[in-house]
Amino acid sequence: MINIPEKAAEKLFLLPTVISIAITIGIFGFMLLLGLPLIIRGGHFLNLLAQSWAPGSGLYGIYPMIVGSLSIASLSLVFAFPLSLGCSVLISVVGHEVFGRFLRGVVQLMTGIPTVIYGFVGVFLLVPRIREIFQRGSGMCILSASLMLAVLISPTMILFFTDSFDHVPKSYGQAAEALGASKGQKFLYVTLPCAWRGVLTGLILAGGRALGDTLIALMLAGNAIQIPGSVLDSARTLTSHIALVFAADYESLEFKSIFACGMSLYLLATLLVLGARGLWHRNEGEK
Amino acid sequence: MNRLGEKLLIAFSWISGITLVSVVFFIVGHLIFKGIRAINLKLIFGETRPLDALLLRKQVFHGLFPAMMGTFLLVVLSVGLAAPVGLASGIYLAEYAQGKVRKIVNFFFDILATIPSIVIGLTGFSVAVFLHQHYSKQIYPCLLISSLSLSFLVLPYIIRSTQVSLESLPLNTRLTALALGGTRVQNILYVLVPQSLSGILSGLILAIGRCAEDTAVIMLTGVVATAGLPRSVLAPYEALPFYIYYISSEYSSPEELLTGYGASIILLIICMTLFLFAFIVKRRIIWQTFYHL
Amino acid sequence: MNKPVKIRTTNLCFSYYNHPVLQDVTLQFFENSLTAIVGPSGVGKSTFLMTLNRLWEEIPGARMKGRIEIKFNGSFHDIYARSYSLPQLRRAVGMVFQVPNPLPMSIFKNIALPLKLAGIRDRSLISYKVEQALKRAYLWEEVKDRLTDSALKLSGGQQQRLCIARALILEPEVLLVDEPTSSLDGKAASVIEELLLSLREHCTILAVSHYWDQVKRIADVVVELSNSHHQSNIYHHQKPQPV
Repeated sequence: MINIPEKAAEKLFLLPTVISIAITIGIFGFMLLLGLPLIIRGGHFLNLLAQSWAPGSGLYGIYPMIVGSLSIASLSLVFAFPLSLGCSVLISVVGHEVFGRFLRGVVQLMTGIPTVIYGFVGVFLLVPRIREIFQRGSGMCILSASLMLAVLISPTMILFFTDSFDHVPKSYGQAAEALGASKGQKFLYVTLPCAWRGVLTGLILAGGRALGDTLIALMLAGNAIQIPGSVLDSARTLTSHIALVFAADYESLEFKSIFACGMSLYLLATLLVLGARGLWHRNEGEK
Repeated sequence: MNRLGEKLLIAFSWISGITLVSVVFFIVGHLIFKGIRAINLKLIFGETRPLDALLLRKQVFHGLFPAMMGTFLLVVLSVGLAAPVGLASGIYLAEYAQGKVRKIVNFFFDILATIPSIVIGLTGFSVAVFLHQHYSKQIYPCLLISSLSLSFLVLPYIIRSTQVSLESLPLNTRLTALALGGTRVQNILYVLVPQSLSGILSGLILAIGRCAEDTAVIMLTGVVATAGLPRSVLAPYEALPFYIYYISSEYSSPEELLTGYGASIILLIICMTLFLFAFIVKRRIIWQTFYHL
Repeated sequence: MNKPVKIRTTNLCFSYYNHPVLQDVTLQFFENSLTAIVGPSGVGKSTFLMTLNRLWEEIPGARMKGRIEIKFNGSFHDIYARSYSLPQLRRAVGMVFQVPNPLPMSIFKNIALPLKLAGIRDRSLISYKVEQALKRAYLWEEVKDRLTDSALKLSGGQQQRLCIARALILEPEVLLVDEPTSSLDGKAASVIEELLLSLREHCTILAVSHYWDQVKRIADVVVELSNSHHQSNIYHHQKPQPV
């Protein structure tokens, strides 16, 4: 029988918690420390975000990467959102006995498929098709990356959507049914209004996954540093930039720019967490 | 909403469902169709006899064995490092933290769970460079640095699964040992943790899966295309997901590309098996581990 | 009532999330007697029991004011005094819950758990005590050949007696029983009633009950809590003497 004094035990459990929090803060600290020379040179962190990338003239702004990240992530949401909403309606609302369950199983399994496999299949299956269809460039472009990314983030959304649909009290739906509402009406007038916060939270989390993913954009988006003009242009994301530049000379300013990318990603993640938590907790409070 | 709208909604949901399922089948089918030919012992062991390779008597060239072993070591080290810290933090969060402290701790763990993996990889890399410059010239990005970084990556999974499974225990169970004169620690160690073991276990399995599939962290912290088996934790190493990434851009012959397909199938099988295992152990926890807010 | 007082509560107030449950409850309970606590649901009967072993402290949102004293070794102790050891209190004040709560381990391990928690390691002493507790709870004959079976395999009535045995193994001076028969059928319930009557010899029993006929059968004293105008009213009844 171990007899650890109560106070000591609490400290024993507290210590690893403090370590984990220190790591979370430390990650940002490291970015800040190592990116500092560039930030000082660029004058202002915000300046750096808005500057373009022209190493020849001493400009190491990460604006093109921010545009790349945002455009790829938002386009993937455009593809994935209706698809996910449709799938969740099929699972929770239409509730087809066999296919509904099967779909839920497939979606859950999808969360376990390695990202690099989506990238790999994308390179050899999707990119050549895009190239053939649009007859432009190599096929490595925003569109290819967004399509594959949409597949990656769909499970996040579907699982979140179905969960919030399922959490709408049954009695609400029954009340609507008693008034003669059809399944579709029940969904539109009862379920969706009750579950919209959950839907929005799912959207935010999926957006976070899309912004934070490295491999798919790195393998499929072509990685050119430019402000893309169309979805068929090549683009580089913040995450890919880190992966590509990290092999450069450690002391160079070019290298330091990846810490600015890291910091931007960290701050974006924090914003998303704040947004999702705000929505979700208010949601919980209402129930 | 009229009958037509109703029909359109249902038709749309069916189209979405069928589209998603076909895409997944297309992706997996493509891998299997193209890569099934590559699946044999030669893919893993090359020209070396499997027994010699497994007993580490001979090096394996042109085979996936070093990459698989690298992934295996990576998983063992990372989860080994993250598990004690994650378990203790999860217990603290579920059983001790209250009010404001609890909110703040939860917030930080949500951030840790949302930080893109490449940022964690970059931090690992920076730590390695820092140690190289200030402590020992022997330290480069290596297996140990990768494992440390990956353990940060999977820490939230372990914390959340522990926390959620402890918190979901019914009040009745929580009070049993306390009513019998047990202290709080005794209650945790003898009743609460044993009762939530399946949830904790399934969180660990998910963490293993995450370590096995991650590419972004390891590509910044020491994985290389050819290294053979790592000689120590301070040496560079190979890993399956990085091999797949590498082949996709650097393959020089159809045969080499074929090994890429083979590696993908093997990685997919490993991850699916782990996932199914976690799923069977505890269904509900998977979902809550991913999306605890 | 000429038995000595065992427990007294003074101006006890209790609330969950600022919602008052008990207000100004002042009561006395007598040694070696069985007091039934009755009243409509939601009036705070179970809560009242939990103030006597301080178990409510584990429930979020709960608040208590007032004073509770229990007589141990001849003198009254304030159980909320800072210096008072919580595990020690809970060992002296046993509790049986409404729904039987055996843990998913063997029958033997379930009964022996309180000893383990108290740090007792002597194997033969543990075996002896487990047997004694099971005998006192009228369960020994039914389970003596399958002590290593999971406790979850027992019937509802057996599980409840197992929980009573588990509460008895530390020989508590007070036993709190929260509607012990509400989840059982008539036959299992009457075994538990008989058991409670026999336990009176060793300890002071406080039992929450919903059933007046049950109360008439087993209680020495009846305390009724009612909740009119947020005021806990208490009525004392002497046990109706059998004619």
